[in-house]
Amino acid sequence: MLRSILLFTALVALVMNAAPGLRAAEAVWSGLVIAENVAQPEPIPPELTRIEGPLKQLFGYNQFQVIGQSSKTLKTGEEDWLATSKYFALHVDARGESEAGYVLNLKLYKEKELLLETDTKLSKRSPLVIKGPQVGGGQLLLVLVVQ
Amino acid sequence: MKTFEEKWTAWLDGELSGKELAEFEASLPDKAAAEAEKRDAKKLGALLKRELGAQALTNEEFFSHQLRERIARESAEPSRERDIAVSTWWTIRRLFWTGTASLAVFLIFAVFVMREKNPAEQSQYLSQILNARVDPVVSPNATISMFEAKGDRVTVLWTEGLQSLPADYAAK
Repeated sequence: MLRSILLFTALVALVMNAAPGLRAAEAVWSGLVIAENVAQPEPIPPELTRIEGPLKQLFGYNQFQVIGQSSKTLKTGEEDWLATSKYFALHVDARGESEAGYVLNLKLYKEKELLLETDTKLSKRSPLVIKGPQVGGGQLLLVLVVQ
Repeated sequence: MKTFEEKWTAWLDGELSGKELAEFEASLPDKAAAEAEKRDAKKLGALLKRELGAQALTNEEFFSHQLRERIARESAEPSRERDIAVSTWWTIRRLFWTGTASLAVFLIFAVFVMREKNPAEQSQYLSQILNARVDPVVSPNATISMFEAKGDRVTVLWTEGLQSLPADYAAK
């Protein structure tokens, strides 16, 4: 009886300790988004649906269009990739994984010119939005989401 | 003053003597019948004493008897305990261990849940901006700020003063 209880307790403890470490391969979606105010806005792209509310509330635009995107499945947490549009490129360099998420180095290029660089910790539960330069009447936004 | 019945009983038992015996036997209406009854009573008494009387035990027999009774008593007690154990699963011992195991499981879950909800560690579940910089040559007046919309769990890096670009740059 005592042995059974100890075994059961140890098993539960083991499973619970192991659970946070069991991170399945996750995909990071990175997108270049143009936010604008238009008379008849198009539906928001599915990748942005979960943050539609905060996007509209924070930036005050009614239409969000993806002009470049990339979705990368991270296996080692050391991958890098590009999300590009005709004139912009977002280089994402994953530099490791922690319990909270991924450490990423982000570089926004306009053609070959570096406009912005940042180091971030991207959490699975928390999308990251970066306000870029004004483009015409709209705004370039960089969005990163762990899917 | 003894009654007739008392004197009769004493006479049957042979406890009358002397003058009292003589007076009683003189008062008997039929002495022969009384003598016959006395003999019958004695026979009956002897018979009863022989058949129903407690047998006197010797010391050895008494000791053996005590031992046998004690052995029988002690051997009966464990089986009674076993009967009780079989009849119910929730013995004190099992209750104790079940309680201990439940407490252990509860503590594990409590620690796990508290670790999840610890406010000090909540920020690790929001994305964080570690640092950010813009090219001062391209955008000399640019400023950078960052904030977290905690209700929506969105982390924002907010730039102001970046070089504005024509609408053509919105092309896919």
